[in-house]
Amino acid sequence: MNKYFREITVAAALGLLLLSLAVFAPHFFQFQPFTSRLTSQMPVLVAAIGIALVIMSRQIDISIGSQFSMCAIIAGVTAASGLPLGVSIAAAIGAGALMGALNGVLVAYLGLPSIVVTLATMVTWQEALRLWQQGRLLNLPDGIQWFGLSQPAGQTVVISLAFLLLVGAAFAMKHLSAGRFIYATGSDAEAARLAGIDPKRTTFGVFVLMGALAGLAAVLNLVQSPQVQPNCGDGLELKTIAAAVVGGVAISGGRGTLWGVLLGILLLANVNPALTHFHQPPYWEKAIQGLVILLAVFADGLRSRKAQT
Amino acid sequence: MSSPKSFSFKSLLARHEAVLVFVILFEVILFQVLGRNFLTERNFSNVFRHSVEIGLLAVAMTPVILTGGIDLSVGSMMGLCAVLFGMMVNALGMDPWVAAALAVACGALGGGINAALITRLNLPPLIVTLGTFSLFRGLAEALTKGAESFSGFPAYFLALGNATVAGLPAQIWVFFAVAAGIWFLVHRTTFGRSFRAIGYAPEGARYAGIPVARNTSLAYVIAGAVAGLAAVILVARLGEARANAGIGYELLAITAVVLGGVSIFGGSGTMFGTILGWIALAILNNGLTRISDYKIMDQTVASVARELSGLLTGLLLLAALAIGASIKTLAVRHARKQPIPTSKPEPATQ
Repeated sequence: MNKYFREITVAAALGLLLLSLAVFAPHFFQFQPFTSRLTSQMPVLVAAIGIALVIMSRQIDISIGSQFSMCAIIAGVTAASGLPLGVSIAAAIGAGALMGALNGVLVAYLGLPSIVVTLATMVTWQEALRLWQQGRLLNLPDGIQWFGLSQPAGQTVVISLAFLLLVGAAFAMKHLSAGRFIYATGSDAEAARLAGIDPKRTTFGVFVLMGALAGLAAVLNLVQSPQVQPNCGDGLELKTIAAAVVGGVAISGGRGTLWGVLLGILLLANVNPALTHFHQPPYWEKAIQGLVILLAVFADGLRSRKAQT
Repeated sequence: MSSPKSFSFKSLLARHEAVLVFVILFEVILFQVLGRNFLTERNFSNVFRHSVEIGLLAVAMTPVILTGGIDLSVGSMMGLCAVLFGMMVNALGMDPWVAAALAVACGALGGGINAALITRLNLPPLIVTLGTFSLFRGLAEALTKGAESFSGFPAYFLALGNATVAGLPAQIWVFFAVAAGIWFLVHRTTFGRSFRAIGYAPEGARYAGIPVARNTSLAYVIAGAVAGLAAVILVARLGEARANAGIGYELLAITAVVLGGVSIFGGSGTMFGTILGWIALAILNNGLTRISDYKIMDQTVASVARELSGLLTGLLLLAALAIGASIKTLAVRHARKQPIPTSKPEPATQ
């Protein structure tokens, strides 16, 4: 079977969804709402690149939603205290990398399962944030929204930054040794070790990168509105894991491409607008998301079963 | 030559449980000194009345974790079962006890979906239950259109959540029955014994003739059914069935289990440990709210104490994990240092 079978299937499903929207609800494609929707998905894309790398190295990180919220608030607070934009961006990314490093130490060097570690850090950051901000909405100073540019220019910056990152990361995964280390660690950590790769360091690095990307995603989200909410990252872990799994990243590690992740995001992101445009109630979004995850793993399971016999 | 005492995992667990008993005693003394009305009969029943649902999830999660799996969907399952229960009683006019039995059956069915995907297709429990975590909660939200809730249950049903039976909250007796049942299964039957064998080495268990898929499935079905029961008890306590019932409960249940010394990798742990872990957690959460009644402290400090409980739960889980892993590393190092006996044919235990 074709190596890119999953990517092609998802692309076909996405094409079908967009085509039916084009026929039945053509105003879906009006330029401005379409661009806005695309821009609003860019933080998810950046975070999903991180989670895809984590899953490819056969780990999971469900604390990214909390990391995202924490980084957004840190960026917001530093910006509100009058520091220049560059400093608050650096603060957000740095804080994310630190939170990722904590996960990384516990998972890579203490050998704890990532699911429980990140479950614990998820709740820790979430509660720390609640204690700190008490759920208050944080108003951002002028000059933050769209990096102080006009809306179309800001949208262009956000979209091109995210896509540059995607292209860079996809290149690195295929052609740089760091990327190959991640695949190798994910498919068989012991074999990777025997081949001279340090799987612990690779895993640690992936978690740090994940945190930094969560910080960057938070910044890309922050610049899209004049306010920031302390719960802005809620549910991000599910969205990104769903996108990665749907896009063909194997949950058992070592397999998948970032292009598949992009397709997964676009497909899942269009579920809710499509429900609205087809005049269906939006309450089904979470159930559909869960169903899509299960379908994707179900397909994986059937394929590996067929491969065994 | 005196043979060096080999490292025994059983003694470690015994010690773990002893440590937990001391932690609980320490908490009780601390909150009795700092808090107000802590060691009263009323507060004592409150502690357990308000955490029975988490206790139920924790005892049902234990067999799952013993097999080396995890079930993230139990909190969402509570939401779905609560909504289904509310609909059956309110919209269909069913008798609450019949509806409760059906809600438990729905939970078992949901657990069966998890089990089928995990054992028949060999999928990782983590991602399967993450999918059903989203699916079950999403169905609950869709059924209630995101906002509807069900109330107006008959008083004889609400008694399950609020009445006192033989000096204890009514739902505690349900908890005792469930905990005793699962304890018996895990510690007194060959069936339950296989959970730990599977968690310790699934391949080894298979070679030993254990039907791994069937036995693992049962653990998930039990977890689902107990989540349905926990939903019914929650509805009886609150008098209201909503789609958001049990949000975040899976984490609290896992925390109780891990605190109780059950290895998150599977293969070792006891029901007694889980119950102690749950009690330690329940007392911590209740005790912190008692401190906030303490007027000598600055008002802001007092309100912080109440909100600390969530943060402390997360930190506690992290600490328990890190300590558990360090002990394991030390134990391995200790075992490696032991000289390998040369005269006796029996090899050193690992």
